[in-house]
Amino acid sequence: MPAMEAEAIRAILADAFPDAAELSVEDRTGTGDHFQVTLASSAFDDLPLLDQHRRVNEALAVPLRDGSIHELRIKTKGTA
Amino acid sequence: MTELRQQIEDVIREEPVALFMKGTPEAIMCGNSYRALNALHAVGAPVTAVDILPDPRIRQELSAVSGWPTIPQVFVKGELIGGADITEELLESGDLERKLDEMLGADRERVVKTVALELA
Repeated sequence: MPAMEAEAIRAILADAFPDAAELSVEDRTGTGDHFQVTLASSAFDDLPLLDQHRRVNEALAVPLRDGSIHELRIKTKGTA
Repeated sequence: MTELRQQIEDVIREEPVALFMKGTPEAIMCGNSYRALNALHAVGAPVTAVDILPDPRIRQELSAVSGWPTIPQVFVKGELIGGADITEELLESGDLERKLDEMLGADRERVVKTVALELA
């Protein structure tokens, strides 16, 4: 399965969340398949945590499905 | 034999707290499953664990039912709580304990069991 650069994931998320106030993607293991995403966006204001994570999962649906992301840790928050 | 999807839906609906994980509580095969289980233990949750590893169809059907792509997945009284990150965040904020107190009562039984799905 193809490994991914953290930057490629960051680009996908920057596209999906153009108003992100904070966005970082860390390759946790240096192996291109375990990532920590940290994302703050006004899109998350008043959105339950479960739905915030859903939005991130949806944005990354393809690499999650094809296995290029083996593990995804998500930390989200609103900006309000 | 009941269809796999039906078995998964039955576990989600009938068990107070369902944890779909990699491995079993006795032999955990993934750090995130461990994190979710630990968070549930920390609030004295009863846990019904389902190992998704025996067959890839389990994960496929589970994600189709829940709309959640990754493992683990935690359900309380049929409601998806989230994966390891959310479960840990809710533990830290105190919301996990509040939710369980509210939905299962403060004197809930702390039983951990494992359900094996029947595979055709």
